[in-house]
Amino acid sequence: MASTGLSFSVPGEAAVPAACDVVVGIAAWNNAGTIGEVARAVAHALGRYGPGAGVVLADGGSADGTIERAREALAGMPAVMTVEFARPAIDPLRAPYHGLPGRPAAMASIFREAAGRQAKALALVDAALTSVTPDWIARLVDPVLEGGFDFVSACHARLAHEGAITRSIVYPLFRALYGLRLHQPAAGEFGCSLRFVRQVLDQDIWAGEAAQTGIDVWLESEAATGQFQVGEAQLGPRTRAPTPDAPDLSTTLTQVVGALFADLAARTEVWQRVRGSVPVPSFGEAPKIAEPSSVPDVMPMLEAFRLGYTALADLWGWILEPRILLQLKRLASAPPERFRVDDGLWVQIVYDFALAYGLRTLPRDHLLGALTPLYLGWLAGFLLELGEAEPADADARVERLCLAFETKKPYLIAGWRWPDRFRA
Amino acid sequence: MWTQVEHIMQEATSRIVQRIAAFIPGLVAALVFILAAVVLAIVARTLTVRALRGLDFDRRAPQWGLGLLAEWSPARSASAFIGRAVQWMVLLAGLLVALTALDAAMPLQLALSIFEYVPHVLAAAVILAVGFVLAQFFARAVLIGAVNMQIQAARELSLAVKWLVIIVAASMALEQLQIGRQILVLAFGILFGGIVLATALAVGLGARDIVGRVLERWFRRRPDGEPDHLDHV
Repeated sequence: MASTGLSFSVPGEAAVPAACDVVVGIAAWNNAGTIGEVARAVAHALGRYGPGAGVVLADGGSADGTIERAREALAGMPAVMTVEFARPAIDPLRAPYHGLPGRPAAMASIFREAAGRQAKALALVDAALTSVTPDWIARLVDPVLEGGFDFVSACHARLAHEGAITRSIVYPLFRALYGLRLHQPAAGEFGCSLRFVRQVLDQDIWAGEAAQTGIDVWLESEAATGQFQVGEAQLGPRTRAPTPDAPDLSTTLTQVVGALFADLAARTEVWQRVRGSVPVPSFGEAPKIAEPSSVPDVMPMLEAFRLGYTALADLWGWILEPRILLQLKRLASAPPERFRVDDGLWVQIVYDFALAYGLRTLPRDHLLGALTPLYLGWLAGFLLELGEAEPADADARVERLCLAFETKKPYLIAGWRWPDRFRA
Repeated sequence: MWTQVEHIMQEATSRIVQRIAAFIPGLVAALVFILAAVVLAIVARTLTVRALRGLDFDRRAPQWGLGLLAEWSPARSASAFIGRAVQWMVLLAGLLVALTALDAAMPLQLALSIFEYVPHVLAAAVILAVGFVLAQFFARAVLIGAVNMQIQAARELSLAVKWLVIIVAASMALEQLQIGRQILVLAFGILFGGIVLATALAVGLGARDIVGRVLERWFRRRPDGEPDHLDHV
């Protein structure tokens, strides 16, 4: 092991940790094609932290030479630890949206290694990414190391039409719930302090099935609701290598929104006391990204929404108020040039689905599956409204939506506290 | 002779009086049973309705596929329907117990044979209820899945699944009730065989190209894994 520069530890084996000031964790499983580039970027970034920097490579049993590629790329690093994590059997039709089965176990392994080595700062990146640069690591680590921050969330540069689940549901709802303007709560990359690592390692989230897809949202919520200093790092675009078993839109929506709704249900005592929201310190400049030459075709989205209305209106009737159904009926027959999902309508839909999730009005998979056509309707309206706008215009539009979520939050609180009155 | 006639009349009267005297306690017991059954039935109905309303059953029944119960009730309430069913079952049981108290051979046999049949009826009722719940569950899952896969005939597909499950449940319930066993198996075989054959012919002859395209799309997913080229998260 010493000759390769890699020290291996396996679960159950007592490791003797050497102290590291900065640790970067790389979670991998069969990423031979991309891990070299990621590891080189990490090694380059860690060069400026001196000998007190280390890398923890968490591997889920790769069979394609991932470890060897990482070993080559990290050859000059003084401290590289490899840990194995247990990868659960995954239904191929319901693969996790983040692309790494066993991600919570990978994170827990990295956290344990970092805590064992008394790391003052830890950053985590995914080995499947193709856009990691040394700046990413610096922006995630420096605020923790120099600014005393406990958690630094990633904020990736995105095109106007990208990340629509985050823009339409995750960011506005997370912000309204916990009062922090963290723009991408489901982003997979982050930096954190030893205090944060120790705090989350003590929780019993890691082995649960819900963590498989909800761990990222849970970590951000934990940071937002605990006594932690939270910031946001402006990173470049996030691209990852294509995976053959990437889940479809409905499964992705079910996983991401389900994770947020589950978090909402688990932290009722916290979010009911929060009013308004505050911005978080931002680190780094958001890079400009070139807009694509064409915008996505909205017609299939409109068709999906209309088909959803035709087939699922009865089902939506159990979740949404009659006046909302009436508005959806009008929308379903609206021509594309007048098709817009009003902010108030969308907020009411999301809140009603959250309340139905809490009340278990329907089996949760069914409930979240029934949200997909509504989401596509929102996306179509959003894209039609923006046209060929710049990402900044999209951000301004999302800001208005977020304010609507915050304004309407008393409705969610009332519905959650008095479901009988709400349903009467 | 008059003495003999008188003796015979006395004996006949005595026998009738004895018979009546022997019957009256049974009759009184039967009346008591019936009265008790009426009271018990009312109490059982009230408790059942209250318990079900406490569980919000009227709102949940349609979601579980038991909306039909409300339609069968004059009060349009599934709880009221089940309460009434419980009331009649208790009354019927009371009546049968009352019949046995009369100590008559035929009513006794009738009561016993009905009591022997009751477990089958209850099992059939449970099978039907579970069948309706499962039918609703699968129909909804298929409906949502089909809509999200942009299948235009999502409702028809969902209805087909729903009725398929209901037919299977109904067949199992009839089997439990020991009604038309052989005919049922035969009819079921013909029905399913017919459906499979018709589907195979329709797919093989009429929709060969469409199925081919669907399968091709299914197996040859886009290289980036996102059918619409959008990164939604």
